Amino acid sequence: MQILVKTFASLRDVAERETMVCIEEGAVVGDLMEVLFRRYPGLEEALFSSPGELKRFVNILVNGRNIHFMRGMDTVLHDGDRVVLFPPAGGG
Amino acid sequence: MLTPADRERYRRQLPLIGDEGQERLREAAVLVAGAGGLGTSIALHCAYAGIGRIRIVDQDRVDLSNLNRQILYRDADLGKSKAVAAAERLRGAGPHLRVEPVEASIDAENVRELAEGVDLILDGMDNFDARYLLADAARECAVPFIHGAIHGFFGQVTTIIPETTPCLRCIVPHPPPGGAVPILGVTAGVIGCMQTAEAIKWLAGTGDLLAGRLLLWDGLRAETEVLAVEGDAACPVCGEHRRKCE
Ligand SMILES: [Zn+2]
Repeated sequence: MQILVKTFASLRDVAERETMVCIEEGAVVGDLMEVLFRRYPGLEEALFSSPGELKRFVNILVNGRNIHFMRGMDTVLHDGDRVVLFPPAGGG
Repeated sequence: MLTPADRERYRRQLPLIGDEGQERLREAAVLVAGAGGLGTSIALHCAYAGIGRIRIVDQDRVDLSNLNRQILYRDADLGKSKAVAAAERLRGAGPHLRVEPVEASIDAENVRELAEGVDLILDGMDNFDARYLLADAARECAVPFIHGAIHGFFGQVTTIIPETTPCLRCIVPHPPPGGAVPILGVTAGVIGCMQTAEAIKWLAGTGDLLAGRLLLWDGLRAETEVLAVEGDAACPVCGEHRRKCE
């Protein structure tokens, strides 16, 4: 199945702003991350504080919904999902 | 009723918001929470647009390192209370303008009082602890919270309308690291102006808001994205309301 991934802000220093990922049916967000980390060395360090441990403040939205409120890295993906990765700004 | 002088002063914006819209701005009261990069940009444009009452809150004093972006202050203001210096600088920006400076740090004790009696809250904070408090107060007072945040060349804006849009915690469940992040003055200007545009539209009753939409501005690459954001039934703040409606 096809997943569209978009990145924002500082993540664009290490990844393309938009990429299509072809991944097997039933894949979860964690599987998608592994594909992305192989494609973009540097993305893992930008997103994870330690292996498998997402930096808490990094937002991953699947079709606009934050995976924090779903099943996190175990959130199941579906064909045509749009996944957005962004570290929110905090300054004023 | 607009005075003849109002009609002349606002001649170039009356075609956009009408006499009624301009009168609504004059009757409106807004809370500008924070008088830093975002807050100074917001307060300036609220004042010039004709908003009648601005309550501006900040506990800090003007520091030399503020002067790359906090556009209401000059060298002569160094060491002054930001809220007071901002109020002085805004005097005369609108014929009906009243600015209420409040020298205070926003906390759980005072946030309700600060939010009392305003038509909306504009986010000029530099930390999410205070943002969550303000967003909760806005929710209790049933007024919009217009969120903005900046970092370097990047910024985000969204308008949170209680019982209607996702709340701040739906959109940013975990705060990014705070502190003295790098910020360019134009980033504060762009994002502060976008927030003020939201306020003007809400008050004048025109246009489409960033309600349920998160605008991400990338000044470095000159790109803007608007993402639809969904609220969540699992959200600790608005989830209960959301579950009732589903
Ligand atoms: Zn919520």
